[in-house]
Amino acid sequence: MSQAELDKLIRSNYEAGFTTTVDTETLPPGLSEDVIRFLSDKKGEPDWMLQWRLDSYRKWQEMPSPTWAHLHHPPIDFNEVSYYSKPKSLDDAPKSLDEVDPELLATYEKLGIPLHEQEMLAGVAVDVVFDSSSVFTTFKEKLAEAGVIFCSISEAIKNHPELVKKYLGSVVPQGDNFYAALNSAVFSDGSFVYIPKGVRCPMELSTYFRINEANTGQFERTLIIADEGSYVSYLEGCTAPQRDENQLHAAVVELVALPGAEIKYSTVQNWYPGDEEGKGGIYNFVTKRGVAHDNSKISWTQVETGSAITWKYPSVILRGDNSIGEFYSVALTRHMQQADTGTKMIHLGKNTKSTIISKGISAARSQNSYRGLVRISPRAENARNFTQCDSLLLGDQCGAHTFPYIESKNPTATIEHEATTSKVSDDQMFLCRQRGIDPEKAVSMIVNGFCKEVFKELPMEFAVEAGKLLEVSLEGAVG
Amino acid sequence: MTVSANDLALALKTQALASARRLGGEGDALAALEATRFPERKTERWKYTSVQALADGHLNAVAAGDLRQPLPALSESVVTINNGELVTSSLPDGVTLHHNAPAVAGLETPFAVYNSAVARAVVLEVAANTRIEQPIHVQIQAASDAPAHCNPRVIVKLNNGAEATVIEHYHGEGQALTNAVTALITADNAHLTHYRLQGEAASTLHIGTLIIDQQGISQVDSYQLMTGNRLRRNDVHALVGKSGAELTMKGIFVVRDKSHVDNQLCVEHRVPDCQSDQNFKGLAGENGKAVFNGRIHIHEGAKGTNAELSNKNLLLNVGAEINTKPELEIYNDDVKCAHGTTVGQLDATQQFYLQSRGIPAAEAKRMLSLGFVNELLMALPHETVAEWARPWLEAELTHARPAGEGAA
Repeated sequence: MSQAELDKLIRSNYEAGFTTTVDTETLPPGLSEDVIRFLSDKKGEPDWMLQWRLDSYRKWQEMPSPTWAHLHHPPIDFNEVSYYSKPKSLDDAPKSLDEVDPELLATYEKLGIPLHEQEMLAGVAVDVVFDSSSVFTTFKEKLAEAGVIFCSISEAIKNHPELVKKYLGSVVPQGDNFYAALNSAVFSDGSFVYIPKGVRCPMELSTYFRINEANTGQFERTLIIADEGSYVSYLEGCTAPQRDENQLHAAVVELVALPGAEIKYSTVQNWYPGDEEGKGGIYNFVTKRGVAHDNSKISWTQVETGSAITWKYPSVILRGDNSIGEFYSVALTRHMQQADTGTKMIHLGKNTKSTIISKGISAARSQNSYRGLVRISPRAENARNFTQCDSLLLGDQCGAHTFPYIESKNPTATIEHEATTSKVSDDQMFLCRQRGIDPEKAVSMIVNGFCKEVFKELPMEFAVEAGKLLEVSLEGAVG
Repeated sequence: MTVSANDLALALKTQALASARRLGGEGDALAALEATRFPERKTERWKYTSVQALADGHLNAVAAGDLRQPLPALSESVVTINNGELVTSSLPDGVTLHHNAPAVAGLETPFAVYNSAVARAVVLEVAANTRIEQPIHVQIQAASDAPAHCNPRVIVKLNNGAEATVIEHYHGEGQALTNAVTALITADNAHLTHYRLQGEAASTLHIGTLIIDQQGISQVDSYQLMTGNRLRRNDVHALVGKSGAELTMKGIFVVRDKSHVDNQLCVEHRVPDCQSDQNFKGLAGENGKAVFNGRIHIHEGAKGTNAELSNKNLLLNVGAEINTKPELEIYNDDVKCAHGTTVGQLDATQQFYLQSRGIPAAEAKRMLSLGFVNELLMALPHETVAEWARPWLEAELTHARPAGEGAA
């Protein structure tokens, strides 16, 4: 494949790059205790929540920003970011879809996010977050019948304080890392899920995040608790308008899988990646972690195609015996994107198992790194890990890197790690082309095949979307 | 006495600077030492290795002890360096020994920088188009009853078309710290076979850097066998610098008791069409701790590179620890790179098979452990080295408490 053909393929449009004009209430940029007080007050939060935020803020102020990742970006001025932006039409929480601002509905329609319950094909309950606020959560009643709580985290703080108090920060403590501390201080909205004992959640739950306002950051916080023997599958999607300046996104996701529970968490991340010259795009700094108790399972699947910078390590602490952790990832970088992503599997319990499958694709002048940790503690008898990280390079100016940390302190543990790096081979291209498949399609097919192991882990609706996303991302990139 | 890592880093720097001034260090080398930082608590490259043992003050004195059990000669050509000073040498025609050392590229650790400031290098230069039949046995020995250090520096230079075998052999007694730098420099059409044998006493310390600088289209085959001691740190930096160069590195490390081994390997491909292949096997028993960090770095222009790395480890019992990290850093699409790592234990069915044939459990485990590394032992091209290495390794494995027995 020639460089010119590759360039063509990589240059494609960001379809979610439009802006929505809605009247918003946006705080001027800057961060201080007063901003946190204002934000907490605006949300009508109880005092304990405000104190928790202030405590996090104080911790954050003392922490240095991390520099260990394989990422290069100018220092972020946290005082240039606005920490609160809310469409005015959401001031009185809409009780039904009819009350939601039509502009907002149109936005989500344009993005293909179904909010109208009657139009739902597969029955996915959706919570949509626009800048700092949750817009609407669908199928609430149907879920309530099963005892499932699915609402925005702001609502949960009001309506289910005992659950929030107990679990918030239990997986990702306030001072866990720089960006988690920042999020703990200023988190705006996000989703809250509680699945009661023995309940199999009747439908897929989904959150859709959209950054709209300029110069705002999005700091969502998601907390999912699967009580004993329950099951939930949760999907997350993200987009943002095409802007010239960088926008900040620092989220925290906490998963708690109590004994025998199973949580499947899937993400399709398509924040605006910036243009070919690296102008604009989202800085995505995310902390995602789950705790798996006895006999439980947590599975992370992610398709990362967006963001100028991705810093994200969905992890599992395998605390209970016989618990299982999985991580399936496809990370595609193009233009000047930089991704440093991977996972941590911390084996503490006996007979714990983890699987890591990571596929990195880098094109143009992008840098794509896998960074992972597999730690076997001394009491994790018979722990088992299998890791595979493959990289595909498209073009001679991109980079693919692997930094897997493996630490074993138990002689009964078995750990395997393998990694390969290659390009789309001439043989594969030749085979496709001599069968009359045009080059663009051929590369798309080969890339899809490369990612297949991960795509098959996604819920059906998402698998289709992910496949399409890769096609769009690679459009015009191949010859 | 335990001091905080950051205080220790400052103390080590002060000691190293004072020592360098005492030993006549000057100019750029001393300035470089002034600019360097010793490992602190959060220094990534020293994540798994504490230099706490150096709080005993090794850098304050230079080792000057007498050797009780010096190494036997493995060849007719021998160079002996005791406590950092050249003692004797007997070399064949075609090899000259001098002290006119070239600058060494790729030195990174503060200890190597310190070595550069104070060491008087021994340069072994092999004349162009000369084939040296006998291996050159370079004995690097150190002894001291009290904590003290020495700074051996050996540079092996193969000119165009030269072919030689060098056995870099370390021996240490008492509380000596060997702070070594070795550089292997090869010109076009040179072929170097290199052994690095490290079996110093458990009470000693070793911090060493090995530079492989392939300046020409050359082949370097390096075999590195080591046991753990109180602190062993090896930084190996290979610069595959001319198209067509080939590098292989094979190694075995065994840790037991409370011994420690930290291998930090980096193979850098800067030019197109080179090959590198690394294969390391590790065994950790008792309370031993092994660290392996193998990095392959392929620069932007290095198309057509073929680089592989394999690191397989056996964890023999509770209390032992293995930390491994195979890294890839790749900036070119037209390359073939792969690495694989495993950490596991001996196969229970194989043990059962041996025991069912009347072989005691401990013996069966020793046999299987030896079998695990045998592939690499068999690959040693020189009979003399293999004959020396096998019983040495067998003895190490006998000491290592087998899995499941007497484990805490």
